[in-house]
Amino acid sequence: MYLNDEEKSILDGKQGYLAAKCMEFLVAYGEAAGAECLVDIDGTVDIHPGGNPTWVPDYRIPEEEIYEAAKRGEQFKVPTFSNKPTPGFIIDGCEGCGTWPSGDQEYCQQRLKDMEPLFQMGMIPTFSCDYYLTASYWPTAGQHCSWGESSAIPWLNAVLGAKGNFDGCFQTAYLGKVPKYDLHLDENRAATVLVTCETKLERDMDYDLFGWAVSEKLGMKVPAFMGIGKPTVSQLVKMNSSLATGGQVRMYHIPGVTPEASSLEEAFKGKKPQEEMNITDEDLRRVYNLVNYASDENVEFVFLGCPHYNIVEVQQAARHLYGRKVKADLWVMTSPQVYSMAEKMGLKDIIEKSGAHFMSGTCAGELRGELYPYSVMAMDATKQNYYMSGHLYPRKPQIWYGSQKECIDAAVTRKWRGEWR
Amino acid sequence: MSETKDSIIIKGRTVYPGKVEGEALVSKMPLMGWGNVNVKQGFTVERDHPLYEVPLKDKILVFPYVRGSGGFVMYGHTKRYGVNPLAMLCTEPISYGIFAAMTMKQPMMTDFDIDPVKIIETGDYIIVNADEGFIEIVKNV
Repeated sequence: MYLNDEEKSILDGKQGYLAAKCMEFLVAYGEAAGAECLVDIDGTVDIHPGGNPTWVPDYRIPEEEIYEAAKRGEQFKVPTFSNKPTPGFIIDGCEGCGTWPSGDQEYCQQRLKDMEPLFQMGMIPTFSCDYYLTASYWPTAGQHCSWGESSAIPWLNAVLGAKGNFDGCFQTAYLGKVPKYDLHLDENRAATVLVTCETKLERDMDYDLFGWAVSEKLGMKVPAFMGIGKPTVSQLVKMNSSLATGGQVRMYHIPGVTPEASSLEEAFKGKKPQEEMNITDEDLRRVYNLVNYASDENVEFVFLGCPHYNIVEVQQAARHLYGRKVKADLWVMTSPQVYSMAEKMGLKDIIEKSGAHFMSGTCAGELRGELYPYSVMAMDATKQNYYMSGHLYPRKPQIWYGSQKECIDAAVTRKWRGEWR
Repeated sequence: MSETKDSIIIKGRTVYPGKVEGEALVSKMPLMGWGNVNVKQGFTVERDHPLYEVPLKDKILVFPYVRGSGGFVMYGHTKRYGVNPLAMLCTEPISYGIFAAMTMKQPMMTDFDIDPVKIIETGDYIIVNADEGFIEIVKNV
Protein backbone atom coordinates (compact mmCIF):
# COMPACT_ATOMS: atom_id res chain seq x y z
CA MET A 1 0.00 0.00 0.00
CA TYR A 2 1.29 3.43 -0.94
CA LEU A 3 2.16 5.76 1.95
CA ASN A 4 2.95 9.43 1.48
CA ASP A 5 5.92 11.04 3.24
CA GLU A 6 3.88 12.15 6.22
CA GLU A 7 2.44 8.64 6.67
CA LYS A 8 5.88 7.06 6.33
CA SER A 9 7.26 9.37 8.99
CA ILE A 10 4.38 8.40 11.32
CA LEU A 11 5.16 4.72 10.72
CA ASP A 12 8.84 5.38 11.41
CA GLY A 13 7.96 6.77 14.81
CA LYS A 14 8.80 10.41 14.07
CA GLN A 15 5.44 11.47 15.50
CA GLY A 16 5.70 9.32 18.60
CA TYR A 17 5.18 5.77 19.70
CA LEU A 18 1.37 5.86 19.81
CA ALA A 19 1.03 7.30 16.29
CA ALA A 20 3.42 4.62 14.98
CA LYS A 21 1.41 1.85 16.68
CA CYS A 22 -1.81 3.19 15.15
CA MET A 23 -0.20 3.44 11.71
CA GLU A 24 1.06 -0.16 11.95
CA PHE A 25 -2.54 -1.27 12.27
CA LEU A 26 -3.78 0.86 9.37
CA VAL A 27 -1.01 -0.48 7.12
CA ALA A 28 -1.66 -4.13 8.06
CA TYR A 29 -5.42 -3.69 7.65
CA GLY A 30 -5.11 -1.72 4.40
CA GLU A 31 -2.81 -4.31 2.86
CA ALA A 32 -5.09 -7.18 3.91
CA ALA A 33 -8.03 -5.31 2.38
CA GLY A 34 -6.21 -4.64 -0.88
CA ALA A 35 -6.36 -0.85 -0.41
CA GLU A 36 -4.03 1.19 -2.60
CA CYS A 37 -3.57 4.01 -0.11
CA LEU A 38 -4.97 5.75 2.96
CA VAL A 39 -7.44 8.63 2.85
CA ASP A 40 -7.72 11.56 5.25
CA ILE A 41 -10.98 11.45 7.15
CA ASP A 42 -12.84 14.73 6.61
CA GLY A 43 -16.07 13.39 8.14
CA THR A 44 -16.45 11.54 11.44
CA VAL A 45 -15.43 8.41 13.35
CA ASP A 46 -17.32 6.31 15.85
CA ILE A 47 -15.91 3.78 18.25
CA HIS A 48 -17.29 1.20 20.68
CA PRO A 49 -15.73 2.21 23.99
CA GLY A 50 -15.88 0.12 27.11
CA GLY A 51 -13.35 -2.61 26.57
CA ASN A 52 -10.71 -1.50 24.14
CA PRO A 53 -11.80 0.24 20.94
CA THR A 54 -9.52 -1.82 18.70
CA TRP A 55 -10.55 -4.61 16.29
CA VAL A 56 -7.42 -6.81 16.28
CA PRO A 57 -5.74 -7.83 19.56
CA ASP A 58 -2.18 -7.67 18.18
CA TYR A 59 -2.67 -3.97 17.53
CA ARG A 60 -4.41 -3.21 20.78
CA ILE A 61 -3.35 0.10 22.34
CA PRO A 62 -2.71 -0.52 26.04
CA GLU A 63 -4.98 1.43 28.43
CA GLU A 64 -1.97 3.08 30.04
CA GLU A 65 -0.90 4.46 26.63
CA ILE A 66 -4.36 5.99 26.13
CA TYR A 67 -4.25 7.38 29.66
CA GLU A 68 -0.83 8.94 29.08
CA ALA A 69 -1.87 10.41 25.72
CA ALA A 70 -4.93 11.99 27.34
CA LYS A 71 -2.73 13.37 30.12
CA ARG A 72 -0.44 14.93 27.51
CA GLY A 73 -3.50 16.69 26.11
CA GLU A 74 -3.56 14.75 22.84
CA GLN A 75 -6.82 14.88 20.88
CA PHE A 76 -8.52 12.71 18.28
CA LYS A 77 -7.84 14.19 14.85
CA VAL A 78 -11.50 14.14 13.80
CA PRO A 79 -14.92 14.38 15.52
CA THR A 80 -15.26 11.02 17.27
CA PHE A 81 -18.53 9.70 18.66
CA SER A 82 -19.22 6.95 21.11
CA ASN A 83 -21.26 4.05 19.85
CA LYS A 84 -22.83 1.58 22.28
CA PRO A 85 -20.22 0.47 24.85
CA THR A 86 -18.98 -3.09 24.55
CA PRO A 87 -19.32 -5.05 26.79
CA GLY A 88 -22.62 -3.33 27.45
CA PHE A 89 -23.79 -1.48 30.50
CA ILE A 90 -26.76 0.76 31.19
CA ILE A 91 -26.23 4.53 31.04
CA ASP A 92 -29.63 5.61 32.40
CA GLY A 93 -32.31 3.70 34.25
CA CYS A 94 -30.41 0.67 35.52
CA GLU A 95 -32.18 0.67 38.89
CA GLY A 96 -34.20 -2.47 39.55
CA CYS A 97 -33.96 -3.86 36.04
CA GLY A 98 -32.86 -7.25 37.39
CA THR A 99 -29.47 -7.64 35.72
CA TRP A 100 -26.11 -7.88 37.36
CA PRO A 101 -23.65 -6.16 37.35
CA SER A 102 -25.34 -3.72 34.94
CA GLY A 103 -28.26 -3.24 37.35
CA ASP A 104 -25.83 -1.73 39.86
CA GLN A 105 -25.44 2.02 39.59
CA GLU A 106 -21.98 2.02 41.14
CA TYR A 107 -20.76 -0.45 38.54
CA CYS A 108 -22.19 1.67 35.70
CA GLN A 109 -20.62 4.84 37.17
CA GLN A 110 -17.26 3.08 37.33
CA ARG A 111 -17.52 1.98 33.69
CA LEU A 112 -18.15 5.60 32.72
CA LYS A 113 -15.24 6.77 34.84
CA ASP A 114 -12.95 4.26 33.11
CA MET A 115 -13.66 6.07 29.84
CA GLU A 116 -12.41 9.44 31.07
CA PRO A 117 -9.18 9.34 29.00
CA LEU A 118 -11.29 8.85 25.85
CA PHE A 119 -13.52 11.80 26.80
CA GLN A 120 -10.42 13.91 27.40
CA MET A 121 -9.22 13.00 23.92
CA GLY A 122 -12.51 14.24 22.50
CA MET A 123 -14.85 11.22 22.35
CA ILE A 124 -18.42 12.54 22.42
CA PRO A 125 -20.62 10.56 24.85
CA THR A 126 -23.51 9.68 22.53
CA PHE A 127 -23.47 5.99 23.64
CA SER A 128 -25.82 4.60 21.07
CA CYS A 129 -25.98 2.29 18.06
CA ASP A 130 -27.96 5.06 16.30
CA TYR A 131 -25.96 7.93 17.77
CA TYR A 132 -26.10 9.52 14.33
CA LEU A 133 -29.68 10.58 15.16
CA THR A 134 -28.62 12.64 18.16
CA ALA A 135 -25.00 13.49 17.32
CA SER A 136 -25.80 17.12 16.33
CA TYR A 137 -22.95 16.86 13.83
CA TRP A 138 -22.98 14.71 10.70
CA PRO A 139 -20.61 14.09 7.86
CA THR A 140 -21.86 15.72 4.68
CA ALA A 141 -22.18 13.98 1.31
CA GLY A 142 -18.88 12.77 -0.10
CA GLN A 143 -16.90 13.04 3.13
CA HIS A 144 -14.73 10.09 4.16
CA CYS A 145 -15.56 8.47 7.49
CA SER A 146 -14.76 5.46 9.64
CA TRP A 147 -17.80 4.11 11.51
CA GLY A 148 -18.13 0.92 13.48
CA GLU A 149 -21.68 -0.39 13.70
CA SER A 150 -23.26 -2.58 11.02
CA SER A 151 -26.75 -1.01 11.28
CA ALA A 152 -25.23 2.49 10.96
CA ILE A 153 -23.15 1.84 7.82
CA PRO A 154 -26.14 2.14 5.44
CA TRP A 155 -27.06 5.41 7.15
CA LEU A 156 -23.57 6.72 6.49
CA ASN A 157 -23.39 5.64 2.85
CA ALA A 158 -26.95 5.50 1.54
CA VAL A 159 -28.81 8.09 3.63
CA LEU A 160 -26.07 10.71 4.13
CA GLY A 161 -24.09 10.00 0.97
CA ALA A 162 -20.86 10.08 2.98
CA LYS A 163 -18.28 7.35 2.37
CA GLY A 164 -17.02 4.64 4.63
CA ASN A 165 -16.58 1.02 5.59
CA PHE A 166 -17.06 -0.62 8.96
CA ASP A 167 -13.74 0.13 10.66
CA GLY A 168 -14.21 2.84 13.29
CA CYS A 169 -11.62 2.37 16.03
CA PHE A 170 -9.09 4.17 18.20
CA GLN A 171 -6.51 4.12 15.41
CA THR A 172 -8.70 5.77 12.75
CA ALA A 173 -9.83 8.41 15.26
CA TYR A 174 -6.31 9.09 16.50
CA LEU A 175 -4.70 9.44 13.06
CA GLY A 176 -7.75 10.73 11.15
CA LYS A 177 -6.88 8.30 8.37
CA VAL A 178 -8.37 5.08 7.03
CA PRO A 179 -7.60 2.61 4.20
CA LYS A 180 -9.22 3.82 0.99
CA TYR A 181 -11.07 0.89 -0.56
CA ASP A 182 -14.55 -0.51 -1.16
CA LEU A 183 -17.19 2.16 -0.36
CA HIS A 184 -14.63 4.99 -0.30
CA LEU A 185 -14.38 4.51 -4.07
CA ASP A 186 -17.11 5.92 -6.36
CA GLU A 187 -17.07 2.88 -8.65
CA ASN A 188 -18.26 0.63 -5.82
CA ARG A 189 -21.21 2.85 -4.89
CA ALA A 190 -23.34 2.62 -8.03
CA ALA A 191 -26.37 0.33 -8.00
CA THR A 192 -26.04 -2.95 -9.83
CA VAL A 193 -29.37 -4.55 -8.90
CA LEU A 194 -32.83 -3.11 -9.52
CA VAL A 195 -35.20 -4.17 -6.74
CA THR A 196 -38.92 -3.60 -7.17
CA CYS A 197 -41.09 -3.96 -4.12
CA GLU A 198 -44.44 -5.36 -5.19
CA THR A 199 -46.08 -5.12 -1.81
CA LYS A 200 -47.03 -1.89 -0.09
CA LEU A 201 -44.75 -1.04 2.82
CA GLU A 202 -46.73 0.86 5.44
CA ARG A 203 -45.97 -0.19 8.99
CA ASP A 204 -42.50 0.27 10.53
CA MET A 205 -42.43 -3.51 10.73
CA ASP A 206 -42.87 -3.81 6.95
CA TYR A 207 -39.60 -1.95 6.39
CA ASP A 208 -37.84 -4.12 8.95
CA LEU A 209 -39.04 -7.27 7.15
CA PHE A 210 -38.30 -5.81 3.71
CA GLY A 211 -34.69 -5.04 4.72
CA TRP A 212 -34.12 -8.62 5.76
CA ALA A 213 -35.90 -10.20 2.79
CA VAL A 214 -34.02 -8.16 0.23
CA SER A 215 -30.58 -8.33 1.81
CA GLU A 216 -30.79 -12.10 2.11
CA LYS A 217 -31.04 -12.18 -1.68
CA LEU A 218 -28.52 -9.39 -2.34
CA GLY A 219 -25.62 -10.30 -0.06
CA MET A 220 -23.17 -7.41 -0.46
CA LYS A 221 -24.52 -5.98 -3.73
CA VAL A 222 -25.68 -2.36 -4.11
CA PRO A 223 -29.39 -2.10 -5.00
CA ALA A 224 -31.72 0.63 -6.17
CA PHE A 225 -35.10 0.29 -4.48
CA MET A 226 -38.29 1.08 -6.38
CA GLY A 227 -41.78 0.96 -4.90
CA ILE A 228 -40.84 1.42 -1.24
CA GLY A 229 -42.53 4.83 -0.86
CA LYS A 230 -41.01 7.53 1.29
CA PRO A 231 -39.86 5.85 4.48
CA THR A 232 -39.85 7.80 7.77
CA VAL A 233 -36.67 8.07 9.85
CA SER A 234 -37.92 5.26 12.13
CA GLN A 235 -38.53 3.09 9.07
CA LEU A 236 -35.14 3.84 7.51
CA VAL A 237 -33.33 3.04 10.74
CA LYS A 238 -35.19 -0.27 11.07
CA MET A 239 -34.62 -1.13 7.41
CA ASN A 240 -30.90 -0.33 7.66
CA SER A 241 -30.61 -2.56 10.70
CA SER A 242 -32.18 -5.55 8.97
CA LEU A 243 -30.30 -4.86 5.71
CA ALA A 244 -27.20 -5.55 7.81
CA THR A 245 -28.62 -8.68 9.43
CA GLY A 246 -30.39 -10.72 6.75
CA GLY A 247 -27.45 -9.97 4.44
CA GLN A 248 -24.82 -7.27 4.14
CA VAL A 249 -26.23 -4.30 2.23
CA ARG A 250 -24.12 -1.26 3.17
CA MET A 251 -25.10 1.01 0.32
CA TYR A 252 -28.37 1.48 -1.59
CA HIS A 253 -30.24 4.09 -3.55
CA ILE A 254 -33.87 5.20 -3.38
CA PRO A 255 -34.24 7.38 -6.47
CA GLY A 256 -35.56 10.78 -5.46
CA VAL A 257 -34.87 10.17 -1.77
CA THR A 258 -31.19 9.30 -1.17
CA PRO A 259 -28.56 11.88 -2.17
CA GLU A 260 -26.59 9.95 -4.78
CA ALA A 261 -29.61 9.20 -6.98
CA SER A 262 -32.00 11.90 -8.07
CA SER A 263 -33.24 9.41 -10.67
CA LEU A 264 -33.08 5.68 -11.38
CA GLU A 265 -30.52 6.30 -14.15
CA GLU A 266 -28.27 8.15 -11.75
CA ALA A 267 -28.43 5.28 -9.25
CA PHE A 268 -26.89 3.02 -11.90
CA LYS A 269 -24.46 5.77 -12.99
CA GLY A 270 -25.72 5.42 -16.55
CA LYS A 271 -25.20 1.66 -16.75
CA LYS A 272 -27.86 -1.03 -17.09
CA PRO A 273 -28.83 -3.13 -14.05
CA GLN A 274 -26.88 -6.39 -13.93
CA GLU A 275 -29.79 -8.05 -12.18
CA GLU A 276 -33.43 -7.38 -11.40
CA MET A 277 -35.55 -8.80 -8.62
CA ASN A 278 -38.97 -8.38 -7.06
CA ILE A 279 -39.87 -8.52 -3.39
CA THR A 280 -43.37 -9.75 -2.67
CA ASP A 281 -45.66 -9.97 0.31
CA GLU A 282 -44.72 -13.66 0.47
CA ASP A 283 -41.03 -12.71 0.97
CA LEU A 284 -41.96 -10.51 3.93
CA ARG A 285 -44.21 -13.21 5.34
CA ARG A 286 -41.37 -15.76 5.19
CA VAL A 287 -39.09 -13.48 7.26
CA TYR A 288 -41.96 -12.85 9.68
CA ASN A 289 -42.25 -16.60 10.20
CA LEU A 290 -38.47 -16.97 10.55
CA VAL A 291 -38.33 -14.48 13.42
CA ASN A 292 -41.42 -15.81 15.19
CA TYR A 293 -39.87 -18.80 16.87
CA ALA A 294 -42.24 -19.29 19.76
CA SER A 295 -45.30 -21.34 20.58
CA ASP A 296 -45.90 -20.49 24.25
CA GLU A 297 -48.16 -17.42 24.39
CA ASN A 298 -47.15 -16.53 27.96
CA VAL A 299 -44.68 -13.72 27.42
CA GLU A 300 -42.27 -12.98 30.31
CA PHE A 301 -40.06 -10.27 28.82
CA VAL A 302 -40.50 -7.62 26.13
CA PHE A 303 -37.60 -5.67 24.68
CA LEU A 304 -38.16 -2.52 22.61
CA GLY A 305 -35.49 -0.24 21.22
CA CYS A 306 -33.34 -1.99 18.60
CA PRO A 307 -31.91 0.17 17.18
CA HIS A 308 -32.31 2.59 20.10
CA TYR A 309 -35.70 4.26 19.94
CA ASN A 310 -35.87 7.82 18.63
CA ILE A 311 -38.06 10.36 20.43
CA VAL A 312 -41.11 9.67 18.25
CA GLU A 313 -40.91 5.94 18.93
CA VAL A 314 -40.63 6.67 22.67
CA GLN A 315 -43.66 8.94 22.38
CA GLN A 316 -45.63 6.18 20.64
CA ALA A 317 -44.61 3.66 23.30
CA ALA A 318 -45.66 6.07 26.07
CA ARG A 319 -49.05 6.57 24.39
CA HIS A 320 -49.67 2.81 24.27
CA LEU A 321 -48.62 2.46 27.88
CA TYR A 322 -50.50 5.47 29.27
CA GLY A 323 -52.68 4.49 32.21
CA ARG A 324 -51.87 0.77 31.84
CA LYS A 325 -49.86 -1.63 34.00
CA VAL A 326 -47.46 -4.21 32.61
CA LYS A 327 -47.53 -7.80 33.86
CA ALA A 328 -44.44 -8.95 31.96
CA ASP A 329 -41.05 -7.24 32.28
CA LEU A 330 -40.75 -4.51 29.67
CA TRP A 331 -37.61 -2.59 28.71
CA VAL A 332 -37.89 0.50 26.53
CA MET A 333 -34.36 1.31 25.40
CA THR A 334 -33.09 4.54 23.87
CA SER A 335 -30.01 6.75 23.59
CA PRO A 336 -28.96 8.97 26.52
CA GLN A 337 -29.91 12.14 24.62
CA VAL A 338 -33.43 10.91 23.77
CA TYR A 339 -33.75 9.68 27.37
CA SER A 340 -33.15 13.18 28.60
CA MET A 341 -35.68 14.71 26.18
CA ALA A 342 -38.28 12.09 27.13
CA GLU A 343 -37.71 12.89 30.79
CA LYS A 344 -38.43 16.58 30.19
CA MET A 345 -41.58 15.70 28.25
CA GLY A 346 -42.96 13.48 31.02
CA LEU A 347 -42.72 10.36 28.83
CA LYS A 348 -40.30 8.70 31.22
CA ASP A 349 -42.89 9.05 34.00
CA ILE A 350 -45.66 7.56 31.88
CA ILE A 351 -43.49 4.58 30.94
CA GLU A 352 -42.27 4.02 34.50
CA LYS A 353 -45.75 4.37 36.01
CA SER A 354 -46.81 1.40 33.91
CA GLY A 355 -44.12 -0.64 35.67
CA ALA A 356 -41.88 -0.77 32.60
CA HIS A 357 -38.17 0.14 32.65
CA PHE A 358 -37.03 3.14 30.63
CA MET A 359 -33.31 2.86 29.93
CA SER A 360 -30.48 4.05 27.72
CA GLY A 361 -27.14 3.04 26.29
CA THR A 362 -27.27 -0.70 25.69
CA CYS A 363 -29.59 -3.53 24.65
CA ALA A 364 -30.67 -6.94 25.87
CA GLY A 365 -28.39 -8.64 23.33
CA GLU A 366 -25.35 -6.67 24.43
CA LEU A 367 -25.96 -7.69 28.07
CA ARG A 368 -26.15 -11.37 27.04
CA GLY A 369 -25.74 -13.68 30.01
CA GLU A 370 -26.63 -10.88 32.42
CA LEU A 371 -30.22 -11.07 31.29
CA TYR A 372 -32.63 -12.86 33.63
CA PRO A 373 -33.18 -16.35 32.16
CA TYR A 374 -36.56 -15.67 30.57
CA SER A 375 -38.04 -18.45 28.45
CA VAL A 376 -40.55 -16.50 26.36
CA MET A 377 -39.84 -13.01 25.00
CA ALA A 378 -41.22 -10.56 22.46
CA MET A 379 -39.43 -7.93 20.36
CA ASP A 380 -40.20 -5.50 17.55
CA ALA A 381 -36.85 -5.75 15.73
CA THR A 382 -35.71 -8.63 13.53
CA LYS A 383 -32.07 -7.99 14.42
CA GLN A 384 -32.40 -8.21 18.21
CA ASN A 385 -34.83 -11.07 17.87
CA TYR A 386 -32.65 -13.22 15.59
CA TYR A 387 -29.40 -12.83 17.53
CA MET A 388 -30.98 -13.42 20.91
CA SER A 389 -31.10 -17.22 20.60
CA GLY A 390 -27.36 -17.19 19.86
CA HIS A 391 -26.60 -14.85 22.77
CA LEU A 392 -28.41 -17.19 25.15
CA TYR A 393 -27.01 -20.46 23.75
CA PRO A 394 -27.29 -23.27 24.85
CA ARG A 395 -30.66 -22.21 26.25
CA LYS A 396 -33.43 -22.20 23.69
CA PRO A 397 -35.59 -19.16 24.34
CA GLN A 398 -38.85 -18.69 22.49
CA ILE A 399 -39.12 -15.28 20.85
CA TRP A 400 -42.12 -13.57 19.29
CA TYR A 401 -41.84 -10.78 16.76
CA GLY A 402 -44.40 -8.11 16.01
CA SER A 403 -45.21 -4.41 15.99
CA GLN A 404 -44.45 -2.07 18.87
CA LYS A 405 -48.15 -2.05 19.79
CA GLU A 406 -48.39 -5.86 19.77
CA CYS A 407 -45.30 -6.08 21.96
CA ILE A 408 -46.68 -3.55 24.45
CA ASP A 409 -50.05 -5.30 24.54
CA ALA A 410 -48.15 -8.53 25.26
CA ALA A 411 -46.32 -6.83 28.15
CA VAL A 412 -49.64 -5.60 29.58
CA THR A 413 -51.61 -8.83 29.20
CA ARG A 414 -48.68 -11.25 29.40
CA LYS A 415 -50.19 -12.97 26.36
CA TRP A 416 -48.90 -12.87 22.79
CA ARG A 417 -51.67 -11.94 20.36
CA GLY A 418 -49.60 -10.68 17.44
CA GLU A 419 -50.78 -11.41 13.93
CA TRP A 420 -49.28 -11.14 10.44
CA ARG A 421 -51.83 -8.59 9.17
CA MET B 1 -7.47 -21.99 -13.19
CA SER B 2 -5.55 -25.09 -14.09
CA GLU B 3 -6.93 -28.57 -13.87
CA THR B 4 -5.30 -31.98 -13.80
CA LYS B 5 -7.04 -35.32 -13.45
CA ASP B 6 -6.89 -35.15 -9.67
CA SER B 7 -6.83 -31.53 -8.69
CA ILE B 8 -7.91 -28.02 -9.58
CA ILE B 9 -5.80 -24.95 -8.86
CA ILE B 10 -7.45 -21.54 -8.58
CA LYS B 11 -5.87 -18.19 -7.90
CA GLY B 12 -7.07 -15.64 -5.40
CA ARG B 13 -6.06 -12.62 -3.38
CA THR B 14 -4.36 -13.13 -0.03
CA VAL B 15 -5.92 -11.43 2.97
CA TYR B 16 -3.71 -13.18 5.51
CA PRO B 17 -0.66 -15.21 4.44
CA GLY B 18 0.39 -18.75 5.28
CA LYS B 19 0.31 -22.31 3.97
CA VAL B 20 -2.00 -24.97 5.38
CA GLU B 21 -3.89 -27.98 4.12
CA GLY B 22 -6.93 -29.85 5.29
CA GLU B 23 -10.50 -30.86 4.71
CA ALA B 24 -13.03 -28.32 3.44
CA LEU B 25 -16.14 -27.38 5.37
CA VAL B 26 -18.42 -25.41 3.08
CA SER B 27 -21.19 -23.11 4.20
CA LYS B 28 -23.37 -22.11 1.26
CA MET B 29 -25.16 -19.80 3.67
CA PRO B 30 -23.22 -16.76 4.87
CA LEU B 31 -21.90 -16.80 8.43
CA MET B 32 -22.70 -14.21 11.09
CA GLY B 33 -21.17 -13.20 14.39
CA TRP B 34 -22.21 -11.27 17.53
CA GLY B 35 -24.35 -13.71 19.50
CA ASN B 36 -24.30 -16.31 16.79
CA VAL B 37 -20.73 -17.55 17.14
CA ASN B 38 -19.67 -19.73 20.04
CA VAL B 39 -16.06 -18.75 20.56
CA LYS B 40 -15.11 -21.38 23.14
CA GLN B 41 -16.52 -24.30 21.18
CA GLY B 42 -15.71 -22.96 17.73
CA PHE B 43 -18.99 -23.20 15.83
CA THR B 44 -21.97 -21.18 14.75
CA VAL B 45 -25.01 -21.17 16.99
CA GLU B 46 -27.20 -19.40 14.48
CA ARG B 47 -30.66 -20.97 14.56
CA ASP B 48 -31.38 -23.14 11.52
CA HIS B 49 -27.91 -22.67 10.05
CA PRO B 50 -26.74 -25.78 8.17
CA LEU B 51 -23.48 -25.67 10.20
CA TYR B 52 -25.23 -25.24 13.58
CA GLU B 53 -22.88 -26.73 16.21
CA VAL B 54 -20.60 -28.21 13.50
CA PRO B 55 -17.00 -27.81 14.75
CA LEU B 56 -14.78 -25.59 12.59
CA LYS B 57 -11.59 -26.81 14.25
CA ASP B 58 -8.88 -27.76 11.76
CA LYS B 59 -11.20 -27.25 8.76
CA ILE B 60 -10.71 -25.10 5.69
CA LEU B 61 -13.80 -22.96 6.14
CA VAL B 62 -15.40 -21.87 2.86
CA PHE B 63 -18.26 -19.36 2.83
CA PRO B 64 -19.74 -16.71 0.52
CA TYR B 65 -19.67 -13.61 2.72
CA VAL B 66 -20.18 -12.34 6.25
CA ARG B 67 -23.68 -11.20 7.04
CA GLY B 68 -24.73 -9.05 9.95
CA SER B 69 -22.81 -7.62 12.83
CA GLY B 70 -19.16 -6.68 13.23
CA GLY B 71 -19.22 -9.24 16.04
CA PHE B 72 -18.01 -11.64 13.32
CA VAL B 73 -14.52 -10.81 14.60
CA MET B 74 -15.27 -13.26 17.37
CA TYR B 75 -14.57 -16.06 14.87
CA GLY B 76 -10.97 -14.85 15.10
CA HIS B 77 -11.00 -15.37 18.85
CA THR B 78 -11.73 -19.12 18.46
CA LYS B 79 -7.92 -19.41 18.19
CA ARG B 80 -7.62 -18.57 21.90
CA TYR B 81 -9.46 -21.78 22.67
CA GLY B 82 -7.73 -23.91 20.03
CA VAL B 83 -10.98 -24.50 18.13
CA ASN B 84 -10.27 -22.33 15.08
CA PRO B 85 -10.48 -23.26 11.41
CA LEU B 86 -7.13 -23.71 9.66
CA ALA B 87 -8.00 -21.19 6.96
CA MET B 88 -10.91 -19.13 5.64
CA LEU B 89 -11.79 -18.88 1.95
CA CYS B 90 -14.62 -16.59 0.94
CA THR B 91 -16.24 -15.07 -2.12
CA GLU B 92 -16.18 -11.53 -0.71
CA PRO B 93 -14.81 -10.48 2.66
CA ILE B 94 -15.82 -7.41 4.58
CA SER B 95 -13.63 -5.46 7.00
CA TYR B 96 -14.61 -7.63 9.93
CA GLY B 97 -13.89 -10.81 7.99
CA ILE B 98 -10.42 -9.33 7.53
CA PHE B 99 -10.20 -8.44 11.25
CA ALA B 100 -11.19 -12.02 12.12
CA ALA B 101 -8.33 -13.37 9.97
CA MET B 102 -5.85 -10.88 11.47
CA THR B 103 -7.01 -11.94 14.93
CA MET B 104 -6.81 -15.65 14.15
CA LYS B 105 -3.49 -15.30 12.29
CA GLN B 106 -4.47 -18.11 9.95
CA PRO B 107 -4.52 -17.86 6.14
CA MET B 108 -7.46 -16.15 4.48
CA MET B 109 -8.05 -15.71 0.75
CA THR B 110 -10.73 -14.09 -1.38
CA ASP B 111 -11.40 -12.66 -4.89
CA PHE B 112 -10.76 -16.02 -6.59
CA ASP B 113 -10.98 -16.42 -10.33
CA ILE B 114 -13.78 -18.94 -9.66
CA ASP B 115 -16.19 -18.65 -6.74
CA PRO B 116 -14.88 -21.13 -4.14
CA VAL B 117 -18.38 -21.77 -2.75
CA LYS B 118 -19.45 -23.06 -6.15
CA ILE B 119 -16.47 -25.30 -6.81
CA ILE B 120 -15.53 -26.67 -3.38
CA GLU B 121 -17.63 -29.24 -1.52
CA THR B 122 -17.42 -30.31 2.09
CA GLY B 123 -14.94 -33.16 2.33
CA ASP B 124 -12.69 -31.98 -0.53
CA TYR B 125 -9.02 -31.76 0.42
CA ILE B 126 -7.66 -28.23 0.06
CA ILE B 127 -4.06 -27.07 -0.07
CA VAL B 128 -4.06 -23.36 0.75
CA ASN B 129 -0.99 -21.46 -0.35
CA ALA B 130 -1.81 -17.89 0.65
CA ASP B 131 1.90 -17.01 0.43
CA GLU B 132 1.80 -17.48 -3.33
CA GLY B 133 -1.88 -16.70 -3.87
CA PHE B 134 -3.50 -19.97 -4.91
CA ILE B 135 -5.40 -22.97 -3.59
CA GLU B 136 -5.37 -26.53 -4.84
CA ILE B 137 -8.60 -28.50 -4.59
CA VAL B 138 -8.45 -32.27 -4.49
CA LYS B 139 -11.99 -33.49 -5.04
CA ASN B 140 -13.32 -36.08 -2.65
CA VAL B 141 -14.38 -38.80 -5.05
